[in-house]
Amino acid sequence: MVKIYTSICFALFLSVFGFQSSYANEALIKRINSNYFAFQQDTSKSKKDLSANAVKTDTIGQMIRALQKFKTVRDTVNIRSSAPVPNLSLQQIIKGNLAGVYVQEPNGEPGTEQSIIIQGTSGLLFNKKDIYALQPAIYLNGVPLVADNPFAFDVQKYDYNRIGPATNLLSQVDINNIQSITVIKDPFELAKLGPNAANGAIYITTKNAKAGLRDISLNSYFGYVTAPQVNTVNGVYENNFRSQFYKKYNPTGSPASYLRDSTNVAYFGPSNWTDLYYQNTPTFSADLGITGGTDRANFRFFGSGTKNAGNADDTGLDRYNLFFGINMAPFKWLTVSSTVNTARLDRTRNKSLRDRFAETRYIPDLSSPLSPNAESYATYLTQNDRNVDNNRSTVLNGNLTLSAKVNKFVISTTGLFNYNEGIRDYFIPSTLLAGISYISNYFGYSQRVSINNNISYKYDINKNHVIDFELGQSLQGDTYKYNYARAYNGPNDYVKLTFVDGNPTKDGADNPDYLNVLANGNFYVFRYIDKERNNLMSFYGSAKYAYKNLFTLSALLRRDGASNGQPDSRWVTTPAFNANWNLKQQFLKDNKAIDALHLSAGWGRTLRIFQDDRFAAGPQYRSENGWEEEPTIPGYGGLLGINRPYNSGFIGYNISLPYADRTSVTLDASFLNSRVNAAVTVYNRDDKNSVIGLPVAVETGYSTQYKSGMDINNKGIELLVNGAVLQQRDGLNWNTGLNLSYNKNKLSALPDGLNELIYQNDNKLQVGKSVGSYWLYTNQGIYNSDAEVPAGRTFNGIPLKAGDPKWVDYNNDNRIDSKDKVLTGDRLPKFVGGWNNTIAYKNFDLNFNFIFAAGQKAINQYEATRYGFVNREAGNDINSVKEVSSWQSFDNEKNYPIYNPWSPVDAYRTDQDLFLESASYVKLRSVTLGYDFSKTGLFKKAGGKIRRAYLYATALNVFTLTDFSGVDPELINYNGIYDGANITIPRTFVLGFKLDL
Amino acid sequence: MKYSNYKISIYRSVTLVLILTMVGMGNFSCKKIDDVQSTRLATEESNWKTLEDARANLLSVYGLMRSATVSDNTHWLMGDLRQGDFQITNRADLKSIVTGQLNAQYPVINRITNWRRFYAVINAASLFIERSKQIIPLDSRYTTINNNVDIAQVRILRAFAYFYMVRIWGDVPLLTSSHDGDFVQLPRTAKEKVLQFATTELLAAAQVVPFKYGGDDPILPGLYYGAGWASWNGNIFTRLSAYIILAHIAAWQGNYLDAATYSKFVLDNYTKSNGSGSNGIVYLDMDALTENVNYYSPFAFKRATVLVGFPFEAGNGLSTANGHIEQLTLASPFIPKTQPEMFVPKDSILKIFTDPGDLRFSINPLTGLYRTNYFYNFPSEQPIFNKIKVIYTAQTSGNLTLFSSTMLFSRIEEITLLRAEACAVLGQRDEAISALNKAANLRGTVTYDPASGKDLVDAIFEERRRELMGEGWRWYDIVRYNRLKNATGTFIRKNGVPLTFTQFERAGGIYWPVSQDVINANPSVTQNPYWQ
Repeated sequence: MVKIYTSICFALFLSVFGFQSSYANEALIKRINSNYFAFQQDTSKSKKDLSANAVKTDTIGQMIRALQKFKTVRDTVNIRSSAPVPNLSLQQIIKGNLAGVYVQEPNGEPGTEQSIIIQGTSGLLFNKKDIYALQPAIYLNGVPLVADNPFAFDVQKYDYNRIGPATNLLSQVDINNIQSITVIKDPFELAKLGPNAANGAIYITTKNAKAGLRDISLNSYFGYVTAPQVNTVNGVYENNFRSQFYKKYNPTGSPASYLRDSTNVAYFGPSNWTDLYYQNTPTFSADLGITGGTDRANFRFFGSGTKNAGNADDTGLDRYNLFFGINMAPFKWLTVSSTVNTARLDRTRNKSLRDRFAETRYIPDLSSPLSPNAESYATYLTQNDRNVDNNRSTVLNGNLTLSAKVNKFVISTTGLFNYNEGIRDYFIPSTLLAGISYISNYFGYSQRVSINNNISYKYDINKNHVIDFELGQSLQGDTYKYNYARAYNGPNDYVKLTFVDGNPTKDGADNPDYLNVLANGNFYVFRYIDKERNNLMSFYGSAKYAYKNLFTLSALLRRDGASNGQPDSRWVTTPAFNANWNLKQQFLKDNKAIDALHLSAGWGRTLRIFQDDRFAAGPQYRSENGWEEEPTIPGYGGLLGINRPYNSGFIGYNISLPYADRTSVTLDASFLNSRVNAAVTVYNRDDKNSVIGLPVAVETGYSTQYKSGMDINNKGIELLVNGAVLQQRDGLNWNTGLNLSYNKNKLSALPDGLNELIYQNDNKLQVGKSVGSYWLYTNQGIYNSDAEVPAGRTFNGIPLKAGDPKWVDYNNDNRIDSKDKVLTGDRLPKFVGGWNNTIAYKNFDLNFNFIFAAGQKAINQYEATRYGFVNREAGNDINSVKEVSSWQSFDNEKNYPIYNPWSPVDAYRTDQDLFLESASYVKLRSVTLGYDFSKTGLFKKAGGKIRRAYLYATALNVFTLTDFSGVDPELINYNGIYDGANITIPRTFVLGFKLDL
Repeated sequence: MKYSNYKISIYRSVTLVLILTMVGMGNFSCKKIDDVQSTRLATEESNWKTLEDARANLLSVYGLMRSATVSDNTHWLMGDLRQGDFQITNRADLKSIVTGQLNAQYPVINRITNWRRFYAVINAASLFIERSKQIIPLDSRYTTINNNVDIAQVRILRAFAYFYMVRIWGDVPLLTSSHDGDFVQLPRTAKEKVLQFATTELLAAAQVVPFKYGGDDPILPGLYYGAGWASWNGNIFTRLSAYIILAHIAAWQGNYLDAATYSKFVLDNYTKSNGSGSNGIVYLDMDALTENVNYYSPFAFKRATVLVGFPFEAGNGLSTANGHIEQLTLASPFIPKTQPEMFVPKDSILKIFTDPGDLRFSINPLTGLYRTNYFYNFPSEQPIFNKIKVIYTAQTSGNLTLFSSTMLFSRIEEITLLRAEACAVLGQRDEAISALNKAANLRGTVTYDPASGKDLVDAIFEERRRELMGEGWRWYDIVRYNRLKNATGTFIRKNGVPLTFTQFERAGGIYWPVSQDVINANPSVTQNPYWQ
């Protein structure tokens, strides 16, 4: 296959040499323009033609000019109304603004990881690794950005945060440098992008070099993130809460040690920790963009600095972003263009106990929690001042494209590179960790290099029939690496680094202590080094046939090889098709009301590659000697041991690569002189042949065996409406855009024809149900007396008693056990969407943006641990940690039955529907009021050189409507657990200006 | 014009050649897809090739067994808590174990009742037995003798895993081959059959393994994997280890004749493990037992005094928080922690340690001073059980609460007491008394006087209770003792119904329930009837 392809390629290229160019641009330009007459629901199709493959950009800047037209296209983010909103990350920018895209922001701490899921989940949602696998490909100027690899979780005990800076790398782009953000969901376009985009793609195009005399833009804002209003409580409140349990079930029991002495000011004094925890914090940003040059050579420079802040715990993120783009046409037939984007992200992380203990893996005595009193809390913060917590991520990505046009051939070759580096230095003084200091150092990088080549040929059969051919090839190499060391018990609190002996030789011989920690007795060091590489190679050929302006038909065939696939199945061929029918032209040529009407349909298959290289190896041996509490035991007797992966699961042969089959049908129309545009898309996606860990008889040593064959189906419908409700020259204008999407997720098959399985003991998967379902006992109240308990009723073998929950016995065997757990609720929403409005009057404009998500549910673990305080405090584990922010009460807190918290049935367990609640919400995400001075007389007098002078005020996260009883329905972890430990999403107010010269 | 055309065509050619080169390069690198070797794992192709592979796979079986016995502090939770001497401060899950509510719904109980971790040992051992032979023709450094010794070790480990499980769960599924990649679902096998298998395996393996590795043992002379006996002792199983496990299996089955024979073998031959750079096996004096005296402490370091056990040496990066009794028993002033999670109450201490000369614990009636080798701060509500205290690098106190104590199954005193027990049961009173007094010799207690009229078996079990406190023996000793005594009194009440020990044992009460996760994954495994 490969060889044949190569020779064809060579033949084609050789033939090219023979032609002399008399290439004319007009035809292509015209065609490009003609692509935009209609509002596409997925702009990807046309956009791809233009920007993804620079092939068809014939003159410099053409791509940009064409892309600008996308601003009106509906399934892109409205950049103009997003630019004044002080968002930090890509996820925040697109949240609620792209149909079918669900963004979750589980933490208000700036720069923390956020998740994007396009058109429903393609996999499981039970741990952090799963969530990494669901993320779509993000393309920045055609560069598929490489993400952090989740393999680091292998050496972690807790997966709250990945080791290292764990910064959201999609915070790297400044919105003021963005030309367009588009979601790509179309089956054909995704097939064209290949395996990177198996979960869909988001295509970001920055503002780029273009011809023009001069184009300078200067933007800045300044504002505050505001501290929330909090009802604080102290030990009295806690004691009152707990006394009802003691009174009812344990009258002689004594309360937790810190709650015994009511004269202790630390716990029973004023609860004013909020003064030190929450702050109104300034946030600001400034950027400068310069574009200019001639038609044959032009450039763009952009630089920005942003200080983003959280409202709690001194968190924040500083971002510095630089961009440089250049286009050159040394000859009419050859274009060279290049962009480089780089950013540095310095994150100031929270000081929460949970995150610290998760990093140190060291839980000291927790019997005295943090005090709610500001004075006591201040001494704790003083200790924290001696911490070191440097988190620096540096990203660099860019491309170099050569595009040549020879007769009707367009040949282009693109080199893409992407390198992300993360460094974290962490130090905790002994005063904060029960007498020992802790140091950890992390260095890691992710790197992606790829080369794409393609050639296209346009064949005009005659005036009515045109065929475009394209052949392409790409090679992509990824490398992921980290070095991580954690060390305990430094000599004192001034030594905040682990020093290593850097001399490879000593007295002419090899130094036995090379790279060992100096003064070994002082530090207890654990080191972790890991590296993974994977390569992806692809070939594709496509053809597009167009009949007049009526009908187009496209087909694509590609073959991809992934080094992470097993040797006998790593090369896979996948096809895709698309058809587009111009109904307006066909049937309604003379209809005045309808300006455009299209029907398009596509089907495509995309290969999905494994994130981990384990699956390629088949049966394997790893160093897995530990257990849940101590996952990284290095070996035995000072030597490394290897054994089968009993803890992580057996991997056999016959594991083949998964793929996604997508079908979508779109009808889009434009009415009333294009004042109203609407599109409806129906999609069906089958993610097939995914690998899942099946439970196996544990007597084989394993608890799971990985097998291919899980299929997940997502169906949905998406609606987009854009309209100019009011259009008055010099009067009131109101533009509105609504996107609404519905998704239905269903597990459609399991390996071996299984109908259901219990996944890693805590979750169940059942064919026909959503993979996001919870597996829970049904709670129906309380047994008030022993007499109320049906005779002989047991809970997992334990006789139920008064004060225990009344759980439903579905199978009527008088024994409540896992057979009585049912699948209910869903972790992901059924409906998501947003409603964006701009009202303009003269030079004023007002924008407000609503977003919503409905149908998802959450487990309120925060309340479960509050009520189940007995077990929590006795455990002295990570769930026993009581953060300072837990010294508060909430207005809409629910009341739960008073069960016996000392009962062996664990009455406040989280695997019951008692704590399941709706997390649907509607948020007024942003309001912007702006005024454009450039049209006023003042600036006109200045010579009219100012194209735009816009002054605005924005409020972000204005209000939330929800039934959810916690702080914010977004602050739910990916697995559906609300633990109340995350920092709230702040309300932010900024004042800014935008100046275009 | 001509000139410019020419120029263009040159540049064009150059460019196109460049592009071509890139395309070409792309295709040549096609091999890269097939040649990416993972650096994170060994495959079937790369494992079982060299001497180092044999060592890595062998040691992993030890590592897995160590993890199986200590994960979530299994060894002590299952051995020392049930009807044991310890009382729980706060933790509800531990309280449930003490009161015998072994099916209570706590994560730790759920995890320790899942026997997968033992079957990981068994699978790794079977795999080693089946595969390690492949190395012999491939690596000349790996001799048949070496391989035989290695295989014998993993057979001991596998038999030990079965014995350990039978003590906990009674009948367990018996798998004697790796069934690699084939996930069979087997029902429980009768415990007698499982122990029979273990005994046969041990007897065969015991004929192969030496008394010392890497030393001057005639069975296996010379360095073992390039290291001498001093670095292997306490780490891996010797012939003594095999006989100790055999003796315990026999005693558990009530076959005291064999128990006496096997334990005699150990006591007669233990000095064969001495020498070759090792500090050797000695009867431990008080400070060697409780104060981490170098060269002999069986808990700190890895020493020949560990006859059956798995060390966690700090120097090898093996100190952990979980997996040691210190996590449960220590508190201030030994480590920065206000209360221990469990402790032996004052009354129990006074009841157990009755001899005023006992160096482990006794109160001087004249001065009122008490010995602190076992218990610290005796007058307080929660005396701290500080017999085992290996903190970080074998310190007896410190701020770094990572512990390095060995998971110790048997030391010379323990097997001597087992010998005493066997002889006592068999009626060999002199032998029994001599063994009992030998074991207690260094504890400062008054030696057993046959004329005192005290029951010898009682005396032996009382000494075991004192000597082996916190070493995971108490529950199993209670079971053996009650079997011997066959008492008719009420041993336990289940749902208010009184049961004698025999009734209790017949109902399956001495065994733990198996986690529901195990049954969910293999429905042919049934729950222990006592816990249904």
